[in-house]
Amino acid sequence: MTAATITSIPQSRRGPIMSPGWARLLAIFFLLALWEIGARLYADPLFLCPPSQAVGALQHILADPKIRNAIEVTIFEVATAFAMAVSMGLAIGLAVGLHGFTKQSILPVILMLYATPQATILPLFVLIFGIGPAAKIAFGVSHGVFPVIVTTVAGVQNLRPQLLRAAHSMGANRWQVFTSIIFPHMIPSFFTGMRLGMTAVLLGVLLAELYVSTAGIGFYTRLFAESFSPPDLFALISVLAAIAVTLNELCRIAERHFRRWNEG
Amino acid sequence: MTLLDSKQGNSHDPRRKMEQNVNRGDAIIKVEGVSQAFGAEGDPRRVVALESATLDIARGELLSLIGPSGCGKSTLLNIIGGLTTPSTGRVTIDGQLVKGPSPQKVAYVFQENTLFPWRTVIDNVKLGMAFQGVAKGEREARARHSLETVGLADFANHYPAQLSGGMKQRVQLARALGLQTEVLLMDEPFAALDEQTRMVLGEDLSVLLARTGKTIIFVTHSLVEAVFLADRVAVLTARPGKIKKIIHVEEPHPRKSEFMTSDKLGDLRNELYELLHDEIRKTMTHQPAEANA
Amino acid sequence: MRPQLGISQRLIQLGVLILILGAWYIGTLPGHINPLLLPPPGPVFKDFWQLLTNSSIWPDLWVTVHEWIVAVLIAAVAGCCLGYVISRSAYAVRVFDPLLAGIYSIPAILLYPLYLLFFGLGSGSKIAIGTTIAFFPVVLNTIAGLANVDKAYIRAAQSMGANDFQLFWSVMLPAAFPVVLTGLRLGCIIAFLAILGGETISSLAGLGHRIVSLAENMESAQMFANIVFAVLMAFIINGLVSFAEARGRRGFQ
Repeated sequence: MTAATITSIPQSRRGPIMSPGWARLLAIFFLLALWEIGARLYADPLFLCPPSQAVGALQHILADPKIRNAIEVTIFEVATAFAMAVSMGLAIGLAVGLHGFTKQSILPVILMLYATPQATILPLFVLIFGIGPAAKIAFGVSHGVFPVIVTTVAGVQNLRPQLLRAAHSMGANRWQVFTSIIFPHMIPSFFTGMRLGMTAVLLGVLLAELYVSTAGIGFYTRLFAESFSPPDLFALISVLAAIAVTLNELCRIAERHFRRWNEG
Repeated sequence: MTLLDSKQGNSHDPRRKMEQNVNRGDAIIKVEGVSQAFGAEGDPRRVVALESATLDIARGELLSLIGPSGCGKSTLLNIIGGLTTPSTGRVTIDGQLVKGPSPQKVAYVFQENTLFPWRTVIDNVKLGMAFQGVAKGEREARARHSLETVGLADFANHYPAQLSGGMKQRVQLARALGLQTEVLLMDEPFAALDEQTRMVLGEDLSVLLARTGKTIIFVTHSLVEAVFLADRVAVLTARPGKIKKIIHVEEPHPRKSEFMTSDKLGDLRNELYELLHDEIRKTMTHQPAEANA
Repeated sequence: MRPQLGISQRLIQLGVLILILGAWYIGTLPGHINPLLLPPPGPVFKDFWQLLTNSSIWPDLWVTVHEWIVAVLIAAVAGCCLGYVISRSAYAVRVFDPLLAGIYSIPAILLYPLYLLFFGLGSGSKIAIGTTIAFFPVVLNTIAGLANVDKAYIRAAQSMGANDFQLFWSVMLPAAFPVVLTGLRLGCIIAFLAILGGETISSLAGLGHRIVSLAENMESAQMFANIVFAVLMAFIINGLVSFAEARGRRGFQ
């Protein structure tokens, strides 16, 4: 009755050769190798350099006190702008989001402002605030405040009115209601807003820094570009990129940590 | 002539052997020693969905597969349809080994919605034929005919999103019919529908069977549906699924609505209930243990 | 999240608008805010109207729009192709999707000085930054769209005998289309923003360049007019692209 039996591969066990993490590293390594070889063989050293030279330039870039200072100033601007954007965004977001009326009338205005290309008003910011850190901080705040507002509004949106009513009926005053109900409820969205805000602040500050080419890192990027020194330029940009990625990553970890409140 | 006996049945009841003689036609589908297991031998998480199922299905019969959740009935259907390869055993249709989907011989009606939302009803039916390999010129006429058969000719240019659940299932049926296969496999096709729609569609299916003589295998959870529609009902045990018993329903097609309220159906349904009740209980008690395995 | 706006909310919005315009007018009356920083509404509207009616802005407008179109085309083709290739293998998706998402989190504007070095101050560097930024939403969405096609559709098609080409062309592509379209929309929008940013930082022509020149020459009213024009262009492009996406999605949902 049962003639030839056919055995087939059991469904689940067809594992890959290596874990995705290692494969990723391999892919990055492969691309870097390609860049290295390609740049050495084909690239005009005025325009493109292999990654090894960029790494070599890192040392004297970071050793130069003026460049180090410019980088530190940039970090300071990001931190300040971030703090301001988050606090302002939180305040505005709460003010707008907690009352349905303000939400429906003012929020669309805010969303419209959010959608405007801020690069167009960058020269205006510099005209107003000058070429010092103030303009960059202001521009960073201008970028960062919007995602925080929007996520804060979204965070308080889902609050069930019964909870508030229950609290009021037990005699809680406004402050108690805020700290015990509203605040915990919107913490997860708030941290999402912080992550988005950090990305936006970074964009704003860097955009402003690159625009103002008379001082700060904008000066050095222009200098290295105009003097055709790709290793220096690559090195400087790598440092800034590393800083940006670190800050973004920190915010993301914070967000993931606090998001568990929501699920738990 | 054909032994329709579960290989690892726990009793060899002579009365059972009598029930299992097919008198309709020769066997078109032969299922031989089919098992399906997930995970390697010795792996504590190994799941045996189906164990040594052996079954012959006669040409032109309507066979229902019923059993508790997780008993492997959908798996068996998928293996017959060539959508899954069994761990052991084999299936032949018309003497040919099943190695993959056999669109020329087998058409499928799924439980979930598989109509493509970006195409109209009639385009969905025609697309099925395109996949099968029907010549372009023939598709329109065949599609219209199929839609007429299921009573949806007026909705040819609607989109699936505009149809109710019952209508969507009818379109899926039309698409399967358009392939003009000898075998029709249906995996709980009416599960998502309300009871009244199920009754009507069930009667329609019976009429269809009588008219076309197709061989139909369908999986269901509903005892009444199984008895009302099927010529034979194969009852599967709880996991690992084995064919426990096959019950005959001697009643000509098309089934009349009076059959639904007859004593005969009631008795058969009760017999099914007794067979299934213990298996369902076993499934319920098994679940916590399997979760920890 | 589409609240029905009542009359009272509309009135409030109108009121806010009037308030802003009023404050602008009063604030720039002689003696208050420095007209170099904030010119009065009158001259700004006059200059804006001139921008709309005479054709002096067309060359710069064309430069920006042309940069945008080229950037979007390159990003769309590259993103869709790479997205398709990666989506063919679940393992490749697991390897490359997080990698691409990670690279996306680096502020792309940092690459711009490199592009200035490599392509010069002209359109090339703007196209490059636009393409770079637009590439990511396209490729990520293409991967997401193709890799997440409802398995039920694929099973059904295979059961009916679809071959690989039919499966891709008639099932996966239409199923993934709405998601891919969203990626293209996002790419279009951020490409335009990136190009404006690039033109602001350093350029020879284009809408951003005009604004910077006028700022350097302290031509405040004209600068404001040009800013309004550029913002208007951004809104038009947003609107067009969103409309195209909505139309495209309608046939496929």
